[in-house]
Amino acid sequence: MPEETSKAVSRRRFIMGVIAGGAAVSAAGYLFRASTHHGNAPLIGAGERLITLNVNGRQRRVDVARQETLAWTLRYNLGLTGAKLGCDRGECGACTVLIDDVPHYSCSVLTHTVRSRKVTTIEGLAAADGTLHPVQQAMVDQHGSQCGFCTPGFMMTIKWLLANNPDPSEDEIRDALSSNLCRCTGYSQMYQAIRAAIDAEQKGTKQELVEAK
Amino acid sequence: MSLPSFQLLRPKTLDEAVALMAKHDGEAKIVAGGTDLLPSMKQKLFTPAYVLDLRGVGELRGIRNMPGNGVEIGALTTLTAIEHSAIIRKDYPVLYEAVKTVASPVLRNMGTLGGNVCLDTRCLWYNQSLLWRKSCGFCLKKDGNLCHVAPGGNFCWATFSGDTPPALLCLGAEVEIAGPEGLRRTPLSEFYVNDGIVRLHLAPNEIVTRVHLPEAAAGWRGSYQKLRVRGSIDYPLAGVAVALKMKSGRVEDARVAITALNPAPFLVKDADAQLIGMVPSEEIAERIGELAARTAKPLTTSALTPEYRREMVRVFAKRAVMQAAAN
Ligand SMILES: Cc1cc2nc3c(=O)[nH]c(=O)nc-3n(C[C@H](O)[C@H](O)[C@H](O)COP(=O)(O)OP(=O)(O)OC[C@H]3O[C@@H](n4cnc5c(N)ncnc54)[C@H](O)[C@@H]3O)c2cc1C
Ligand code: SF4
Ligand code: FES
Ligand code: FES
Repeated sequence: MPEETSKAVSRRRFIMGVIAGGAAVSAAGYLFRASTHHGNAPLIGAGERLITLNVNGRQRRVDVARQETLAWTLRYNLGLTGAKLGCDRGECGACTVLIDDVPHYSCSVLTHTVRSRKVTTIEGLAAADGTLHPVQQAMVDQHGSQCGFCTPGFMMTIKWLLANNPDPSEDEIRDALSSNLCRCTGYSQMYQAIRAAIDAEQKGTKQELVEAK
Repeated sequence: MSLPSFQLLRPKTLDEAVALMAKHDGEAKIVAGGTDLLPSMKQKLFTPAYVLDLRGVGELRGIRNMPGNGVEIGALTTLTAIEHSAIIRKDYPVLYEAVKTVASPVLRNMGTLGGNVCLDTRCLWYNQSLLWRKSCGFCLKKDGNLCHVAPGGNFCWATFSGDTPPALLCLGAEVEIAGPEGLRRTPLSEFYVNDGIVRLHLAPNEIVTRVHLPEAAAGWRGSYQKLRVRGSIDYPLAGVAVALKMKSGRVEDARVAITALNPAPFLVKDADAQLIGMVPSEEIAERIGELAARTAKPLTTSALTPEYRREMVRVFAKRAVMQAAAN
């Protein structure tokens, strides 16, 4: 698999440069805290901080401070901004990613603890040729999102639900959705999108069976 | 919010973990699932020099059935694994009932039984950012010298808010603990301290390794009832577990425990005396509700009023008795 060196350092330098230059605008409060977060890091050898992560099937070399959360690394070191930071304390699910195929809130996972594990983010959900995952497509078709901030998190939870239970009951779908928060009242549409994707899948399977005969 | 800086320790065996905890005595915090510890560290409630990631210690993960000798659950076992365990669901249903109410499905994928048992106590004035707490002059539990909940007192009422411990108390569970002196075992009922700051009989260098469910409690029927604001994700604001050993429609043995109402989870005293030998009825269930409400000392540590929470313990204890008998 190809090894990639992250572009993180240059990005972070850029951000810090912006702050130092006084050009910081509205998001600067957040970014400034980010820079102190790195500034406080204990002095550990670069060898210990430079780690390899398996993200979306690729090996990525990345410089990670001990106290960095996975959400942080994905967004600000690897440029994978699909996972969002909502509450940053394990309550909203906007940061949900799969670790070894199981959904986790990446804001509450230390990056160093997922070395040698498989991380999948929303960016890894569509097929290589760009074809959307059936539930992604159904979410588009059924208007399953409004502002879209929660959508990547929901998608990861739904992917896990269907991987383990291809034909979930209404209660099972609702239970799985309870891990993620949508403040735009998208739950009913999301529920319908999941149902539509399952129905399409089942129809497809039946079609394949008919064609195979 | 950013995490304070620390050194990360990643032992692979229990011996290594014990040695590291002994070496960094009092300076290291254990992280298991991290769902309680990491948000608290972001709020600067803990700023340990070392964080020990226990999850490399594979021997602490899993559920072991020991026929004739009960079941052992490793501290690192996730709540999802317990929820999906056929043995737990069949033989220790009160634990199954409690586990499936914890947080959300994703948090149960992350959270461990050890973390749930050792959960920090919670309070409106404590689980807040550094800035928030600073603007209120801090409090006894962290960085300050007064209690906003019971001013004038010298006691912290922060509430123990784990869901599995009341179920485990009903089952007569024991915890196994590893420390520099070796392994020790203690009944869960003697593990908690009813003080929001002291919380546990656990030295800073000790590690909870396993929870043991005795064979004698296998097959007891159970129910767990929980009060929370949002049904999808919140911590309990009152919780009642009931386990009944039934024989021909009569109660042969019984335990009732409450959580999220005091700084420690508690077995309800004399509940067994009310239930043993009886056929569960509304009237008896009502009496258990009385006893549970008397054991509860809720104060204004959470979003709902203490009066409401005490009233709901009564209602939930009653429901739990009727449901356990019917299950
Ligand atoms: C939004 C939200 C909702 C929640 N709702 C609930 C709920 O409804 N009910 C509930 O019970 N909990 C709830 N929780 C709390 C938490 O998710 C669970 O209690 C979980 O089981 C904690 O386990 P953990 O492994 O993540 O703990 P961690 O965060 O890893 O650890 C918790 C504490 O226990 C200590 N610890 C962990 N393992 C050990 C060990 N083996 N030996 C000694 N000390 C140890 C840690 O040092 C830390 O102090 C909620 C959390 C969030 C963020
Ligand atoms: S009960 Fe009092 S001392 Fe304890 S956390 Fe709340 S305000 Fe602080
Ligand atoms: S940002 Fe991680 S759960 Fe909200
Ligand atoms: S679509 Fe806006 S939060 Fe869900």
